[in-house]
Amino acid sequence: MKTRNILPLFLAACLLLSVFAPAFGSAEEETVTLRVCNWEEYIDLGDWDPEEETIDLESGDILGENSLVQDFEEWYHETFGVRVKVEYSTFGTNEDLYNMLTIGDVYDLVCPSEYMIMKLMSEDKVQPLSEDFFDPEKETNYYIKGVSPYIRNIFETHEINGVTWDRCAAGYMWGITGFVYNPEKVSEEDASTWKLLENRDYNRQITMKDNVRDAYFAAVGALKGEKLISEEFRDGENYTAELQDEMNDVSPETVNRVQDYLQGIKDNLYSFETDSGKADMITGKVVANYQWSGDAVYAMDQAEEDEYYLNFAVPQESTNIYFDGWIMLKSGIGEDQAKQQAAEAFINFLSRPDSVIRNMYYIGYTSAISGGEDGRIYEYLEWNYSAEDDEEEVVEYPVGYFFTGDPEDEDYVLTVPEEQIGRQLSAQYPSQNVIQRASIMVYFNEAQSELINRMWVRVRCFNILSVPVVVWIVLAVLIAAAVMVYFWQKREKEKMYR
Amino acid sequence: MRFSRKTLGIPYGVFLTLFVVAPLLVLFYYAFTNGQGQFTVKNLTDFFTDPNTMGTLVYSLAIALTTTALCLLIAYPVAYILATSRLKAKSVIIMIFVMPMWINFSLRITALKEILTAIEGNLAYYPFLNSVLGMTYDFLPFMILPIYNTIVKLDVSLNEAARDLGADGRRAFLRVTLPLSVPGIVSGISMVFLPAMTNYVVLDMLYNSTYIMGSLIGSYFSAYNWHGGSMIALVLLGFICLFTLLADGGEDENARTGGALL
Repeated sequence: MKTRNILPLFLAACLLLSVFAPAFGSAEEETVTLRVCNWEEYIDLGDWDPEEETIDLESGDILGENSLVQDFEEWYHETFGVRVKVEYSTFGTNEDLYNMLTIGDVYDLVCPSEYMIMKLMSEDKVQPLSEDFFDPEKETNYYIKGVSPYIRNIFETHEINGVTWDRCAAGYMWGITGFVYNPEKVSEEDASTWKLLENRDYNRQITMKDNVRDAYFAAVGALKGEKLISEEFRDGENYTAELQDEMNDVSPETVNRVQDYLQGIKDNLYSFETDSGKADMITGKVVANYQWSGDAVYAMDQAEEDEYYLNFAVPQESTNIYFDGWIMLKSGIGEDQAKQQAAEAFINFLSRPDSVIRNMYYIGYTSAISGGEDGRIYEYLEWNYSAEDDEEEVVEYPVGYFFTGDPEDEDYVLTVPEEQIGRQLSAQYPSQNVIQRASIMVYFNEAQSELINRMWVRVRCFNILSVPVVVWIVLAVLIAAAVMVYFWQKREKEKMYR
Repeated sequence: MRFSRKTLGIPYGVFLTLFVVAPLLVLFYYAFTNGQGQFTVKNLTDFFTDPNTMGTLVYSLAIALTTTALCLLIAYPVAYILATSRLKAKSVIIMIFVMPMWINFSLRITALKEILTAIEGNLAYYPFLNSVLGMTYDFLPFMILPIYNTIVKLDVSLNEAARDLGADGRRAFLRVTLPLSVPGIVSGISMVFLPAMTNYVVLDMLYNSTYIMGSLIGSYFSAYNWHGGSMIALVLLGFICLFTLLADGGEDENARTGGALL
């Protein structure tokens, strides 16, 4: 009897609530909702320990109290008088993000890597940044005022379908690829080449990322190693452009050679890893790990806490320089001006030097922002890496290319302890030497991507043709025997019942 | 509104439609269409002509069969001894075997990784063995429980009758207990065999870089080939159906003849 009474009551309550809910909402002022999708663990979530973690720069302390997203919401309200609500979500890989967009998830602002930005741009899914965003006179335009000249140059000189990257994308983090290695087990010389992957001395002691693009790039670099390090090639007039062409070679012959190469090194590696590489370096299961520089910094930091030192080396052949950048999506922003303004303000807020420092400290990756006239980011670098006054073995480490675009700029030369070379600093801010041989990995069209993906599947799958004929014969005999035994038993049984 | 027994089925009906029937329809749609949304059976023919998918199928089968055999080998004696012993603390011991199920799966495999590293030194030399061990560790309770439950419910007098009629212990076990526990074995196998074909997380965590069916589907999806990936999933589903049908057939036959096997 009771159930009959409760159900209608419950339904009535629900109905009443749904009638009144909008009325409660309208008491609030107008809010802009901003749907942001970023990599996992790729933004400062705050909650730092004030005692231990305050970054005490001379220009003032920096401390992540609340998450950057929360700080943005407050800042936006104070600055523009409009409330904004950020719906923050994360993705695991660029391909996941693309699949999420395909099945109809809508975001206003996302942060994929350069090749995915190029793919989305080529599919006309990206909303260009407004003219206003590029106005350096405006107080709150932290991005355009602070973006590193080095990064800016790359974004302005690369285009897809006639549109340069910088019109659509704002750099967030960047880095290179290289080997984190245990200097007690691996020599620096061995670690400074992609040939480390095939080095029999470290048989089954090296991991690399389980990722077709990284594996492809490394294999191409190893295969073309001789040419890439030859002086003739290095001194060539169009070295940078030619290097990029060589490293992005996806001709069928090269894809085939890469397949053979990867199949060859598969048994020489410990494994391809999705996420265990950092931990395995720290616990000592492997002696080297081909890794993204941001994660390399993380691994080195973690190891240091246990009084255990890891180093970072960049292949002498070349290295993959990669970017993650913010882009606005047409499907989310549409014609909504208020939303676009909030999205661009979000990029600017994250590019404000104190936010940049908080992010770099928190996630270990290197920001694309150098700060422009605001000196705090360079100050943070000094705070982080500079040698103490009484230290004796120090070296000079110029980072002018990143801060002013002039590699020889004397104002941007760090004086660091010698041992820092080959550790976090050279992963976070690669030396001018490394930058010269860095190449981006472009976006391949569908046919090329298909070719590479198929190659990767072939590398990873068990090859049925590799099973010797003998095994097949033995198997066939066994199955035949099993079938015969089964029927024989069945007949025996039937005999018994008769 | 009249409250009848059928009303109780509504939640399940809703659940079934939303999370089983609807996704299945989507799966069928993708498996039999191409990128342009036209009907095609190319995905199906691709599956059976591509040496990679066939190789992966063989490799997955090898892992799954070995895992199942190993599980059965360990689980049956344990279940049998426990079910037939006069121990008062039986249920406690069974609980010890089932307890790992309460601990998060990835934690368990991480722990196993450390144990195996301590034993083997370098895990990379034994990827197949490690995968099988990981899966066995993971799925063992699913094999023990159904077998234990079947044996514990067997009528002891059947066994006693066999002994009275002159069968020795071994013969009584082979001719009475074992055939009668087949339903438990079958449901144990189906709980272990099929997950073992697709559970690629175990392989990932234990550093086996060769694809099995689950990781192959994943690789198709990250290359945006939802159609090929769906077809692989569908073929696997076909295998499950086939297996279940075979198992059911076997069980029926046993129900018919099992009792007369004395």
